[in-house]
Amino acid sequence: MKTAKTKNLVIQHILLLIPLIIYGIYKNGYLIYEKKLIQPAMILKPLYFVLIGIFIKLVYDLIRYHKIKVDYDYVCLSLLGMIVPYNTNLIIYSIVVIITFIIIKLLSKYIKFNYICLVYIIILGIAYIMHSLTFMTPLDLNYSYNFDFLDILMGRSIGGISSTSLILITFAYIFLVNNYYYKKNIPLFINISYLLLAIVYYAITKNISILLNIEVVFGSVFVSSIPNYSPYRKNNQIFYGIAIGVLSFIIAIFINRIIAIYVATFIASLFLYIEKSNRSSKKSTKLPISK
Amino acid sequence: MINLIKLKNNNDVNIVNKINDFQSPNSIYIPIVDNVRANDYVYKNSIINGYVSSISGSITGIKKVLINNELVNAVEITNDFKENAKAKIRKKKVNNKEELIECLKVFKLDFIADKITNIDKINNLVISSIDEENYSMKEFLRLANDYSDILGTIDELTNILGLKESTLATKNTNYNSISNVKSIIGTYPNIKVTLVPDKYMISYKDFLCDYLNIPSSETLVLTTNEVYYIYNALKFKYVDSVLITISGNAIAKSLVINTRLGTSLKEIINELIKITIDDYEVYLNGYIKGRRVSSIDDIIITLDTESIVINQKMSDEVTDCIKCGACERICPCHINVLKCYLNNYSHKRCIGCGLCDYVCPANINLKEIVWRDK
Repeated sequence: MKTAKTKNLVIQHILLLIPLIIYGIYKNGYLIYEKKLIQPAMILKPLYFVLIGIFIKLVYDLIRYHKIKVDYDYVCLSLLGMIVPYNTNLIIYSIVVIITFIIIKLLSKYIKFNYICLVYIIILGIAYIMHSLTFMTPLDLNYSYNFDFLDILMGRSIGGISSTSLILITFAYIFLVNNYYYKKNIPLFINISYLLLAIVYYAITKNISILLNIEVVFGSVFVSSIPNYSPYRKNNQIFYGIAIGVLSFIIAIFINRIIAIYVATFIASLFLYIEKSNRSSKKSTKLPISK
Repeated sequence: MINLIKLKNNNDVNIVNKINDFQSPNSIYIPIVDNVRANDYVYKNSIINGYVSSISGSITGIKKVLINNELVNAVEITNDFKENAKAKIRKKKVNNKEELIECLKVFKLDFIADKITNIDKINNLVISSIDEENYSMKEFLRLANDYSDILGTIDELTNILGLKESTLATKNTNYNSISNVKSIIGTYPNIKVTLVPDKYMISYKDFLCDYLNIPSSETLVLTTNEVYYIYNALKFKYVDSVLITISGNAIAKSLVINTRLGTSLKEIINELIKITIDDYEVYLNGYIKGRRVSSIDDIIITLDTESIVINQKMSDEVTDCIKCGACERICPCHINVLKCYLNNYSHKRCIGCGLCDYVCPANINLKEIVWRDK
């Protein structure tokens, strides 16, 4: 009769990511291979990124705990593998994830911020230094497409390697909303605040790319709402959601629309230190309920 | 209105809808005092260390038993099955609140007397026939079986306390099955029956008063079993038996048992209950609200014993807190449970309902922390 366990929640989260990974393999693997732009082994590149993360976590668990400890790190590392750009080097990705994950685990007591976003920013930073930072796939670089709205919904737009299908993200969100443990207010308020600002921006500039930013939806549903690295009180969740939505919009306009949600989440999650380090509170003396 | 939740129905537990008697235990246990010796004879209803002996017999040994969450020494009284009673009882009719309190103290029902004493001016009387968890039916079955005595006593209490009317609160899911109550309630115009929703902790005094929209500080809330104890006291009888529910998914048949005070749970289980699963765990006074006990051997039946839950053992593994905040969202007292856990302090507002424990996906014993100082 006991309610859900962390293990079940993690498994449910990962199961919801599988359709998106499969779509990522189709879009960023099969379609590119069809045009003979990549080797057959690279069809599964979106899956490799996810498996690398899971493998690193498995090895870490077995070395440190001598057993598999199913926790949200599996979800975090899977998500990281889904949001990186297509042309991220698998070896560099593996090295960065191993090093950062070990450091994060060693300092886990002090890590309150959303580390997925930090590692993501590091990976993008390395790509930038190596002059290889682009979110376009070989298909996007070699062919010109004129996407209609349905294509955007299905996930044909440019973004993370497995994070662009709005329909699949929406299905996952509908499923997660019914989960008592899911912080549904965070994605809700991120998207509301972002959409409102993007609609105003569109009305002024007629620039639709900010409005059709699927990455914000993916990031809000999966990354910003990871329980370990987000506020737990309802009011704080709403404030956190609005803050990320507004920050994402600003970053989307001035820096890059695809990385906006992740950078915004990282910045907002730094403020979790204020929420969680409040150790000066004394026992409550309020007694509205008498015994 | 406080936002209370409805618990899932546990379909694997079906409690038999009748009271089973276990009135002839081989022995009972009473916490020890200095002036008792082996082979001393104990009469039924004699008072030892503030406890009423529910049988007559000889003191034959000493054993450790669990009383108020502590293991204490208790004397074993072996039943001679003669029911020899010697205690003198002062018979005086109760006319007012003070006499009622005095009467309750004479019959060792101090906990009910304290409830009455703690309220300066009683303006409302509410009788709760509500079982909190699906693992207990003792309040419902007490009303269903002793409805005539219960309603008569409520009527008498209403007059003793100088009230115009009193309220009998029962779950809306139960009322249809209490046909006997419905058939005679018309003869007690000063008893109002109120149906309450089937929600966890609704019988807690503040929540019940909040639902009934009456001030908690002026309201005396008694359970149907407490009313039955008062009925006994008003009839100049000691309470020697209590109802307990033994239920759970690790036993063949869940039962409500009427048994003598001081009886060992182990003896009841040996006689009436068949445990079907070897790897089980035992909860005293509720699966959610109660607490897990290490062994059934130490448990004896007291007036505080409400239910015993014997369930298949679940994993004990405690994982790291994922900070989902479910504990805080479900808390009926709006306590920031997670903050209490992270900073390791208890909270004065905690009523020990155990819902935070119940929903925690990391299996953290949050109640132990938040409820610790109670």
